[in-house]
Amino acid sequence: MEILLGLFYVLVFPGLLFCFAIGLLLLGIDRKIVARMQKRIGPPIIQPFYDFFKLMGKERIVPNKAAKKIYIIAPVIGLISIITIALFIPIDYFKTFFNNYADLVVIVYLLTIPSLAIIIGGASSGSPFGGVGASREVVLMLGYELPLVITLLAVGMKIGRLTNTAATFSLINIVDYQIKNGPAFLQWSLIPAALAFLMVIPCEIGSTPFDIADAETEICEGTMVEYGGILFGVYKLTQGIKIFVMISLFIAMFMSGIIPAVSSSIFVNSLVSIVWHMALVIVILFIAVSLLRATTARIRIEQAFKFYWTYPTALSLLSLVLVWAGL
Amino acid sequence: MFDDIITKSKVKSPWLYHLNTGSCNGCDIELISILTPRYDVERFGIKLTGTPRQADIVVVTGPLTSQSKDRALKVLSQVPDPKVVVSLGSCPMSGNVFKGSYSIEAPLDRFVDVDVSVAGCPPKPEAIIDGIIKAIEILKDKRG
Ligand code: SF4
Repeated sequence: MEILLGLFYVLVFPGLLFCFAIGLLLLGIDRKIVARMQKRIGPPIIQPFYDFFKLMGKERIVPNKAAKKIYIIAPVIGLISIITIALFIPIDYFKTFFNNYADLVVIVYLLTIPSLAIIIGGASSGSPFGGVGASREVVLMLGYELPLVITLLAVGMKIGRLTNTAATFSLINIVDYQIKNGPAFLQWSLIPAALAFLMVIPCEIGSTPFDIADAETEICEGTMVEYGGILFGVYKLTQGIKIFVMISLFIAMFMSGIIPAVSSSIFVNSLVSIVWHMALVIVILFIAVSLLRATTARIRIEQAFKFYWTYPTALSLLSLVLVWAGL
Repeated sequence: MFDDIITKSKVKSPWLYHLNTGSCNGCDIELISILTPRYDVERFGIKLTGTPRQADIVVVTGPLTSQSKDRALKVLSQVPDPKVVVSLGSCPMSGNVFKGSYSIEAPLDRFVDVDVSVAGCPPKPEAIIDGIIKAIEILKDKRG
């Protein structure tokens, strides 16, 4: 029974099948919102599904100069690790036994793997554009990891203090605390951290002002220059799931427990919280990703780096200091 | 069943790659204009990609100068199947005003199979969209 349930979790609900659907759907919703904001009709919402299946039907080419095994395996590793994170994040009342192992530190480590996979894949493709893209991705990672880690520290420390333990990094404790005592973004010392996290989201998923590593107009899609066919489809899918995972992480850390328990049965509660979670995901997608994508143009790599090491870092440090001072 | 989905998706998501072989930039600007809010070809799922590896439709502009000929043919051979080649403007069709020059190799169809040709100097955006829709119909019947 336990094993069957585990398989269901891994393959169907928060795992593979669900991630596949929600990742591509979120990409489609994002494209549609941006199109409507620019007064265009825009592609249908299921457009990324068409893209994915078309890419499946394309000829598979592995360039001669590429390191073949790494080139093929890199996107797959990225996809697997991002799906693993999706298993770890609790959705309000919906919890799997994977959540007991969920730890913010593990999630930070796993979150770097898709970016690393992109870097390795791009560098292994044997194209100079891939090399340039990979180096830009490294710089971006250095940029956004710092505020991200400080934000997680601030939240862990705050919830730890409120529950009279040392800092807690277990996501399930953080969510449980919020279900009992209301969402964490109402603690005013955590508001700067929440803002910093919102600023990290567009860079982590590589959407427009920060899509410097795969800029199609200047470096021919950067790291993705040699990827075509299904491997590129896997990369796109990873990007979609990353949107879901980042926003879910935000909701789990700052906005859990907004809706009260509607009934005594866990099943009904889980169902309601999943629906609510999806609605929240779309709202935050609009605020943090689409709005920015529709109104800004790509910035240069050193501008992005400077931005991340000033404003988001300052905000998250402010939060950490406030929490440390006991506010 | 799976093949059906892939065939349907092929029609719904053609990605363009724009290959300039020494054009005067008139055609290029007109091609970009079809992606603007006024014409919005993204509603057909059309997207401009930066690399030939992801392209389904290659749009070639310019009179194929001697300098760019080898490179253009190399790029065209990098596009994975199924692919469709569209020649945009009068330049790749005949050489246009540059015809007879020592430094151009037009017409393009001496070297590759061109599926759709859109004439004009430069063609109107409506004509370009029409040409691309024709290209999508050809793409449907091509096998990967
Ligand atoms: S067809 Fe006319 S507009 Fe187009 S590239 Fe040739 S000369 Fe320029």
